Amino acid sequence: MNARDTLARIQALPAPLRPIRVLNVCGGHERSITELGLRSLLPDWVQLIPGPGCPVCVCPEEAIHQAIQMALLHPLTLVAFGDMLRVPVNLNKGEANSLAAARAQGADIRPIASPLEVIALARSLAPRPLVFFVAGFETTLAPVAAMLAEADLPANLFLQLAGRRTWPAVEFLLQAGSSFEAMIAPGHVAAIMGANEWRFVAEKYALPVAVAGFAADTLLTGLHAVLRHALRHEAALDNAYPAVVKADGNPQAQALLAKAFDIVDAPWRGIGSIPASGYRLTSLHAARDASLQFPVAISGHKRSGQMPAGCDCAAVLLAHKRPSECRLYGRACTPESPIGPCMVSDEGACHIWWRAGERVATA
Amino acid sequence: MCLGVPMKIVSLHGERAFAEALGVRREIALSLLPQPWPHPGDYVMVHVGYAIERVDATLAEESHTLWQAMEAGRDA
Repeated sequence: MNARDTLARIQALPAPLRPIRVLNVCGGHERSITELGLRSLLPDWVQLIPGPGCPVCVCPEEAIHQAIQMALLHPLTLVAFGDMLRVPVNLNKGEANSLAAARAQGADIRPIASPLEVIALARSLAPRPLVFFVAGFETTLAPVAAMLAEADLPANLFLQLAGRRTWPAVEFLLQAGSSFEAMIAPGHVAAIMGANEWRFVAEKYALPVAVAGFAADTLLTGLHAVLRHALRHEAALDNAYPAVVKADGNPQAQALLAKAFDIVDAPWRGIGSIPASGYRLTSLHAARDASLQFPVAISGHKRSGQMPAGCDCAAVLLAHKRPSECRLYGRACTPESPIGPCMVSDEGACHIWWRAGERVATA
Repeated sequence: MCLGVPMKIVSLHGERAFAEALGVRREIALSLLPQPWPHPGDYVMVHVGYAIERVDATLAEESHTLWQAMEAGRDA
């Protein structure tokens, strides 16, 4: 069925008395929803809300500060995905408060787009140490795990991990009391981990959930499935992206993840610690742990774990507020001069809304 | 980082391949895929330089249309 027909089927659903809020937890979904203009096409009673689907946004300040100090104080090169470089942390005036600011002070910090680039760069810089600062969800950590399994990985390559798992954040939101009636699960995370990883939303929390991809047809198919179930007060798991997502995911990728990383409790910026939501290098790779090899003291956080003053990025990540409800949105905070991480990252909801032309601040 | 790009395999060499999408050719890694690996002409979904799953040609076309629409929207 094509996207237009699926949209018509959604528009033909009977309107409930109260709106149905549908959470997404992937910056890619939020980007598709916003850029396709789905909010203006769907009935008024459907509310599409972005959640914690931005790995750069939830990366703890302490991890960024550690990377900054490592690059400033040790003779090494540090690389990170480009989004990470401009994320500001709360530090005292005069201190480099982002990786970009540290680079301006002379640290050798470079943006990369792939672990393949990191391997090539490590080879060309050897024996100079190269630290790969990794933020990301399963879709990024699986490639990093594959990189670690390479036979002739350069000995001068080290990692600082700030990767996170997606589903524990959703369970955290559900345990806190759900602010949504249905959800769309991230298609490419599910391609790796399997659609079944999201079954708990239906079975434990009695909410409809659909795995969806990023084009209009799969996204609308997923939305139609969860809305139809929500209207009937049914809970079910649907896979609206079967061309890419299998029930149990990609076994090779999962085996590499298990070999590379242990699962640990981990802090999320603006949210707090979430059980079993982070990755740590297994003992096999302990010698590549940058925080052990290049120790730094990171103290003096004014508001540890928090977002910048006045910034509602935390409420946006927790699905309590929409980007335009932040007092700073489009006023003090724009992609050109961002205050909170949600306006920095390509996957941040504020950045996505602003880039798509959403100019009405409703705060 | 979560935006995947479907790419068409052009040639294989060991655990790597050359693949192209929207006229851009780049080297990708195949090591996240279960065996047997794809052949030249097959499509894969690529994340940060690594193929994470095989996809069919129709899905790849639809994704490229979406991608181009987004880039057009971004420039507007």
